[in-house]
Amino acid sequence: MRDFVYLAPETLEEAAALKLEHDDKAIFMAGATDVIIRLRDHLIAPDYVIDLKNIPDIGSITFSETAGLRIGALATMTQIATNEHVLRHYPYLAEAAAYVGGRQIRNRATCVGNIVNASPLADTATPLYCHDAVLELYSLSGCREVPIQEFILFVRKVALNPGELVTGIRVPYLPGAMGIFRKIARRNEVDLSTVCGTVLKTDNGWRIAMGSVAPTPLRLPKTEALLNAQPLNDALITEAAALAATEVNPIDDVRADRQYRLDIVSYLVRDALTKLR
Amino acid sequence: MEYCVKFCVNDEPVELTVSGSQTLLHVLREQLGLTGTKEGCGAGECGACTVIMDGQAVNACLILAPEANGKVISTVEGLARGEELTPLQESFIDHSALQCGFCTPGMLMSAEAMLRENPTPTREEINRNMSGNLCRCTGYKKIVEAIEDVVAKGVYQK
Ligand code: FES
Ligand code: FES
Repeated sequence: MRDFVYLAPETLEEAAALKLEHDDKAIFMAGATDVIIRLRDHLIAPDYVIDLKNIPDIGSITFSETAGLRIGALATMTQIATNEHVLRHYPYLAEAAAYVGGRQIRNRATCVGNIVNASPLADTATPLYCHDAVLELYSLSGCREVPIQEFILFVRKVALNPGELVTGIRVPYLPGAMGIFRKIARRNEVDLSTVCGTVLKTDNGWRIAMGSVAPTPLRLPKTEALLNAQPLNDALITEAAALAATEVNPIDDVRADRQYRLDIVSYLVRDALTKLR
Repeated sequence: MEYCVKFCVNDEPVELTVSGSQTLLHVLREQLGLTGTKEGCGAGECGACTVIMDGQAVNACLILAPEANGKVISTVEGLARGEELTPLQESFIDHSALQCGFCTPGMLMSAEAMLRENPTPTREEINRNMSGNLCRCTGYKKIVEAIEDVVAKGVYQK
């Protein structure tokens, strides 16, 4: 690793000011499970690494029916996977968090970091896409909120302005929602997703999101519209599964080829609809 | 950049000068001589570097040295009291749960962290909890059996 200055601000103001000052020369870290690997592999070579873990009040997970779930920037995958509110009201999100890496990684990795990294295969992204989660951003010039679909722009590109950081994610509560998160990987544990996805049945219709099938995680609006237009039956499930594969655009890579991913998208949709019908 | 860090390893307070770009793994092995903690991949994949930090199993290769400031860390060297091994270590020996032994410190620390939190894990829970620790020799079966034996004996309590 190239040497850098390690900074550990104790307030949001300080963190934002440091990032604004050093901009491209600085990188934020929280769990650092991704940042350290990228430093080690010389994929990034910042002059400053700003550790957010000493900032109080951005680590908690809170829930109320009106405000929904709020995941603080420092909340780890282990905390999310075992949180009673997440388990009760967002079990598919708990499941997604529980299958990130191994236990040692989950004890450190954060959900916010997972999203800010903007990997197309981020495991916690698809449940959040289904819930139209909103990123809470902080900078010295003020706070703003950005829906997750507008936040993740491309592979490793997010809609953060200079000096801005994510303090948490708000996940609206959908009473009665039932969903399934599935991760297909080469092995069950400690692997990156070949395809991951969430299918959600809500009082107002179906919501489907897929990961690792395009430069960003995706909602599948045409498939959702098809499903929402008529009652579910076997023929509709088959049609929806086929349509879903036309809404994604995966690539060939070391984990699988394009056709395999297309087939898996259809399979995940068919399987989840069958289970949730 | 150099930083002065203070933390506690195996009940001993230490005070060291580290560089920002060092990992906790390197500090443990090279500055403190605690070479029980191994480096396999150096990238969070193998678990050979597992230590317990503030009660949680973590990969020491994915922690920057300055992050250790103020932490309480246990390494495999902290398990035995002198010559007296812990029941978990004894069980690994009894079950031949190691061959080359390279993964063993990490396996022990992962299992130790799990058992302190959950003294009665099921086999499924053991498998899931240990999934971040790779072993190229044993085929895992004996490791799981060694842990199950300790569970059956009720050594750990909540
Ligand atoms: S050396 Fe740390 S996980 Fe492999
Ligand atoms: S005993 Fe050799 S790697 Fe596990």
